[in-house]
Amino acid sequence: MAESTLQNEPNGRPLIRRRNTMMPSRLTIALFLLPALLLYTIFMVYPLVQALIFSTFEFNGLNRGDFVGLQNFQQLFTRYPISEQLPRAFVHNIYFFIGTMLIQNTLGLLFAVLLHRPRFGKRFFRTVFTLPYLISPIVVGYLWSLMLNPLFGPVNSTLRNLGLGALAKPWLGDPATALPVVILVNAWMWMGFPMLLFGAGLAGIEDDLREAAKIDGASNRQIFRWIELPLLTPVIGIVSVLTFIGNFNAFGIVWALAGTDGSPAGATDVLGLVFFRTAFRGEADAFGLASALAVLMFLFIFSISVVVQTWFRRLERRMQ
Amino acid sequence: MKKRTRLAAVTLLAAMLLVMTGSMALAQDNVTVTVWSWRTEDEDAYNAIFDVYEAANPGVTVEFVPFVNTDYNNILATGLTGDGGPDVVQLRAYGGLQPLIEAGQLMALDGKVSNLSNFTDAILKGAQGRKDGQTYGVPFGVQALGAFYNVGIFDELGLSVPTTWEEFISVLDAEAAAGYIPLANPAKDSWMLPILHDAVAAPRYGGPEFQAAVLAGETDFNDPNYVASIQVIKDLQPYLPPDVVGVAYNDSRTLFISGLSPIFIGGSFEIGFWHSEAPDMEVGMFMVPPPPDSVTDSLVPSWMDGSYGVNARTDSPDAALALVDWMGSPEFGQLFSDKVNQISPVAGVTPTDPLLAKFAEGMVEHPASYLLLVDFRYGDPSGSTVMGNEIQRLFLGEVTAEEVAGSLQTGISQWFVPAGAG
Repeated sequence: MAESTLQNEPNGRPLIRRRNTMMPSRLTIALFLLPALLLYTIFMVYPLVQALIFSTFEFNGLNRGDFVGLQNFQQLFTRYPISEQLPRAFVHNIYFFIGTMLIQNTLGLLFAVLLHRPRFGKRFFRTVFTLPYLISPIVVGYLWSLMLNPLFGPVNSTLRNLGLGALAKPWLGDPATALPVVILVNAWMWMGFPMLLFGAGLAGIEDDLREAAKIDGASNRQIFRWIELPLLTPVIGIVSVLTFIGNFNAFGIVWALAGTDGSPAGATDVLGLVFFRTAFRGEADAFGLASALAVLMFLFIFSISVVVQTWFRRLERRMQ
Repeated sequence: MKKRTRLAAVTLLAAMLLVMTGSMALAQDNVTVTVWSWRTEDEDAYNAIFDVYEAANPGVTVEFVPFVNTDYNNILATGLTGDGGPDVVQLRAYGGLQPLIEAGQLMALDGKVSNLSNFTDAILKGAQGRKDGQTYGVPFGVQALGAFYNVGIFDELGLSVPTTWEEFISVLDAEAAAGYIPLANPAKDSWMLPILHDAVAAPRYGGPEFQAAVLAGETDFNDPNYVASIQVIKDLQPYLPPDVVGVAYNDSRTLFISGLSPIFIGGSFEIGFWHSEAPDMEVGMFMVPPPPDSVTDSLVPSWMDGSYGVNARTDSPDAALALVDWMGSPEFGQLFSDKVNQISPVAGVTPTDPLLAKFAEGMVEHPASYLLLVDFRYGDPSGSTVMGNEIQRLFLGEVTAEEVAGSLQTGISQWFVPAGAG
């Protein structure tokens, strides 16, 4: 269709470039897709299928034993202490997700909006806000656990020097503050990522729309609420799904801040830690149980992601 | 033409055979035994020890390859499955080596290593298969629990080593009054909590007597004496650092070596750290006196730390067996004790380091097992894991001592069957 209705701009350059009428053969397409498909199969499909198979077997160390059907799955929900740790970790993952959406992504959006309008220091601040996620989560975790150390850390000593000694808490040692602190540190690290995505989304909105709204007398706030925010829906959808996947797979930063057990007393325990403990600190039969947990986590994350993405796509279509 | 080809073939074959036998003879004379270990910090010490062995056994080269402690189990499990793995391997103790035994990856040493007779049965238990009772490793080290104290601070405050619980408490009070944190111990790293409990309160629940009874099924962890022993730790909380559940293991060690806290309760494995990080600080050791209503006198709980075993798929079984046999000799034991600075379990070896000697002496005179490690790490969850997490909650005020003991019993009941119950 585009080929026939070729339009020219005033300066004579074609507005829509003519597509090559020579379609590559199916074989050529297949050849180009093959390397990616091969890598994807080796590193994604094969381990996934293997985990699914492992989850139905008994294990002796690395040696596979007898087929046990769904027994590993049943044990996840009946065997103490994993039967108590699993629901607790799941709830913590939900808190983690909600907290991250509220803090990290809201701040990311705020900074994207503030940095969108060209002004002095835009590039500088964009770099500053995105720097933390270039550092390994383990390093970020250790760094913050040193900062928050109740005995030697600078956070509490600063609070005390400011006369706010009452606010100096054992941040990572108190079950009431430990998980929120983990969420905040994680948000500190990743905030730049939604900021970049929202920034790109804002840049993709045509200025004509904003100008038209301004002529109609809309304030900046109204432009954001009624023009920019609705047009950011696809980005919000992507950010939400990525946040969901990232949070339910969270491991490194929690491990560095709170150890393998999710201290104190399991207050920061998440599914990733439960999996790690089961697989690598458990007994001889650990791999079957850990694989079962991995399969459940995959199914849950996968299905929710699909549902959420479909919902956002429908929302986009309705708005169009 | 044909004849010449045949001749050439025969000559070639003969030459190849010659080369092969030559290299085989060479291989027999020059053997390299690869030893895998998780002790990166002891690499120099082990190389010095193996130099002695190489000097006495010409043609044998011992290659010591240490890996990061926390990754070692996975590396070893993978290394033992294929070819090109190690010949001799450092093995975790008790429950820690069972998966390797059950997978058939280790060689049973009974009847092959004569120096196993240099160890007591209690020590060998840590290197045996739980199901088959065979010995799979030559024990290299023993750890014991006790209280370290800063001699300088004790002198400055005019304190002496406590011999009764009342004296212990008054020492702690005097330290607190002088502005010190009386006990440096952490609670963020949960593995340190069962250590604190056993070092302080083993006499309260009765150490070896309780161990025998609980293994026989005559009692369990809900026993009032065991519950009371957990309460002893809770009662010590005012003397621990403030917000103790936020204080990590390395924070506590820093509190001790920086002189902010005069007492650190822990294991003999800390001695090397004190020597290297605070060489000028004079450190003493005492047994924590028995708490009120204790079942037994003071105890020094100890455990076998690990052993050296032989890969079932080794290319040079004879050289590997000869090496582990030597590792059971008094010569190795003395070298290990002097160079690695840990207690050797070989009969007749005495540590040169005075602090280490105090632990070794206490262990012999007041013997006990670090119960949760020695007998309750054979299943999942292990006793020490449950205990560590539950004592954290005890310190946070979420549970009582009874509930801690109850959770411990529930946890180990998942896999532990007492002897009495068949």
